Amino acid sequence: MDFPNALQIFISGANLGAIYTALGLGFFVIYSVTRLVNLAQGEFVMLGGMLTVSFYKMGIPLVPSITLAVIISGLAGAGLYRFIIYPARGYSRLTQLLLTVGFVFAIQGVALLIWGWDFRSLPAFFNTPCIQLWGATIFGQTPWVIGVTLVMVIGLFFFFGRTIQGKALRACANEPLGARTMGVNIDRMALYSFIMAAGLGAVVGAMITPLTMTSYSMGWSLTIKGVLAAFVGGINRAEGVILGGVALGMMEAAAAGMVPGGYHNVIAPGILIVVLLLRPHGILAIPGRVE
Amino acid sequence: MNAFREISSKISAVKLQNRVIALFALVMMTIPLGIGPYPISAMVDVGLYSIVTIGIILLMGFAGQISIGHAAFFGIGAYTSAILTTHYQFSPWLALFLGAALSGGIAAAIGRAMFRLHGLMLAGITLALNLVFYHLVCSMIGLTGGAMGLINIPPLILGGLNFSRSFLTYYMVWIIAIVILGFSLNLANSQVGRTLRSMNTHAGGSEDAAQVLGINVNSYKVQILVLSAVYASIAGSIYAHHARVVEPGTFFIPFSVMVVIMAVLGGLRSPWGAFLGAGLMIGVREFLWEVMPVFVTGVTGAYELIAYGVILILALLFLPRGLISLFGRAFTKRRATV
Amino acid sequence: MKTDSAVVKDAVTSKKVAPDKLLLKVEDVSMRFGVLAVLKRVSFSVPKGNILVIIGPNGAGKSTLLKLISGLLSLQEGEIWFKQHRLSKIPPHRISSLGITQLLQDVQLFSSMSVIENIMVGCHLRTRAGFLSAGLKLPQAQADEQRILKRAMSKLSLVGLEQKAWGNPVGLSWGQQKLVGLARALATGSDLLLLDEPYSGLLADEIDKLNQLILQLQRQGMTILIVEHLTDVLMGIGNQVIVLDYGEKIAEGTPDEIQRNKRVIDAYLGSG
Repeated sequence: MDFPNALQIFISGANLGAIYTALGLGFFVIYSVTRLVNLAQGEFVMLGGMLTVSFYKMGIPLVPSITLAVIISGLAGAGLYRFIIYPARGYSRLTQLLLTVGFVFAIQGVALLIWGWDFRSLPAFFNTPCIQLWGATIFGQTPWVIGVTLVMVIGLFFFFGRTIQGKALRACANEPLGARTMGVNIDRMALYSFIMAAGLGAVVGAMITPLTMTSYSMGWSLTIKGVLAAFVGGINRAEGVILGGVALGMMEAAAAGMVPGGYHNVIAPGILIVVLLLRPHGILAIPGRVE
Repeated sequence: MNAFREISSKISAVKLQNRVIALFALVMMTIPLGIGPYPISAMVDVGLYSIVTIGIILLMGFAGQISIGHAAFFGIGAYTSAILTTHYQFSPWLALFLGAALSGGIAAAIGRAMFRLHGLMLAGITLALNLVFYHLVCSMIGLTGGAMGLINIPPLILGGLNFSRSFLTYYMVWIIAIVILGFSLNLANSQVGRTLRSMNTHAGGSEDAAQVLGINVNSYKVQILVLSAVYASIAGSIYAHHARVVEPGTFFIPFSVMVVIMAVLGGLRSPWGAFLGAGLMIGVREFLWEVMPVFVTGVTGAYELIAYGVILILALLFLPRGLISLFGRAFTKRRATV
Repeated sequence: MKTDSAVVKDAVTSKKVAPDKLLLKVEDVSMRFGVLAVLKRVSFSVPKGNILVIIGPNGAGKSTLLKLISGLLSLQEGEIWFKQHRLSKIPPHRISSLGITQLLQDVQLFSSMSVIENIMVGCHLRTRAGFLSAGLKLPQAQADEQRILKRAMSKLSLVGLEQKAWGNPVGLSWGQQKLVGLARALATGSDLLLLDEPYSGLLADEIDKLNQLILQLQRQGMTILIVEHLTDVLMGIGNQVIVLDYGEKIAEGTPDEIQRNKRVIDAYLGSG
């Protein structure tokens, strides 16, 4: 393999890894606070993308468009929690998971209603041009994808690790009873986690739209990617999600470059199967804390 | 002794169940005589989904495991039948049998390793397995037609009857469904069913307590997985011949999730739940697609999709134990049967 | 599989016991959870027909020892022999089929089925029917059901709760639940019964009843291992007593000997 190809694969891998990581983090935020699997995460991403495109096409500049998209998506997340999950708080985790699926259908319907069947796209942020680097092509959007993901990761680490609110959120999942006695309002924390995940998802949606286009039904494949990234690395630690996302992205990009046909898509789930069989809680997870 | 009076009242519980099955069979057999072809096609769907869902109920409700990847087994049956009958001119019935054997064999091979996992991680691996199946099918274009799938699958033929008409397929599907229901009910009410429930921590059981009573917990889990894989494969094969077309998108996560939804909404406590859940979801789908355009015009499918989601949410919120809980203890009465 | 040929002496009578009369032999068993050593080189033997009582302050490793015997925990160091079989390589359900069963500390009755069905689950080792014959409702499966129902009823009568047969276990008192759990364990037809703190939470008359049952079982040929940390109850029951403290066996002998053993007294007083 010559250098330009290898470099192209590396860049591809970094791009894909960032996307996987960002999707996994959105999934992780809700799981780490509520232990709930949110299969509607991909829909927040879709919403973010679609809304951003709509606002942008109306003439609103990029950053405010994204901001509006994030706010609306956050509201959707709040709605999901308040009206759907919260009433079912005594029910089994499985039922709650299926409720998020109901939400998926409803949101897809709304998206279909507003935007129809079309695919929408955005130009690369601020019209960043493609760069040629040592024989490899870097799409204009790629630096933004990686950059935004990095900011997201750093931001989440800071938030969960340093701030009181963040620590309170973490306490909820690890030790709900203890958190309650400390005066933490678990339900409020759960609500925040949903809003946060929805907002993060929306940002991800905006950032990947220039690369992959968006349509009303793209949510499922994104949710799946997020789930894979989170599980591979170890769902109860953020570092795990990041490791998982990057690893999956790199390996899938490498496979895409070297293997014909669509077989490279088998890599990501294949890796998850191997990881789960060897280390049932994910590569980095703390055993004993996953149910 | 007291026990013998109990035994005789139990016999009537079994007789009641048998009578209900007979009645159910009678109703299902006479329905097509009174309705047109379109509802019959929907009823075929209900039958096929029910067959897969019974397997899910046995796996989740009884053995206490989870699978959100059963579309793969459904797909193994469908593609085996499709490939063998179109490329190699196998008899459809032989292909169906081979598909079921393959499905069961794969389940047996992976089951032991799979069930080292529990809960969320188990769900994760079943998801991954479904994905692997899907992407493999999409990639092996020569064999499976890739993303475009296979077409012109021959219909099933039995004794001169050509099953390309929905009317006949309806009977075949429902006869098979009722036989599978009977088998599964027998299993559920037998010592096997009891043993499964004893090791199911979600149903008040305990793996530890079961182990010290001599129960090989893992073996039971694998056997139920194999059974559910066989059921799904049979349904898949019939589907291939009924739809005459197979394409990968059918055998993907939404299908896997849908059968789980049907199982939960129908009720995990009894195989009867499969029919309730499948009937509900397909009934709602048909109702919405037929009725809603009359009231609301708009983008095709948008309002129906929203309504579908809302109904699903409401059903889960108000009937967390499934529709079967409406029938009280009649179908879920846990009494030893003789 | 043969045990080593060293002769063992019965702890009570100090007479030599032939190896084939030994039901259970625990040899240098140690166990750690992480850095915590829970059992340290515990060894003892149990002749057939004995009632062995294992006592010791809380945290002494008694429950762990039982779980190692029944197979719920895997052996790390040492060996356990049962009827000439090495237990270290065998999964718990196979150990049960060899003839060991356990009544867990919290009993864990199956709440989704009636009392009698709980006991019928215990008859599992006595059934022949598999998936196919159960699903097809073959005569063999039906005959099996009848048989195990009768067997379950007889075990339930043994503990005197046959009138509760069709009720749900959660409606029973704690003492009754224990008895049902015992009946369930007896349904397996095991030779060695492990009881993990069976007396906890029982009222005085229930304790008496349980003792009578245990003695009756011994007369019928069963070997019983009881783990408890209450001591006064057990002195009337066991003929072999072992004391554990911090994972070590500190004494073994008859109830009288143990009661007079200074080291035992210190251990109990010391741990408050």
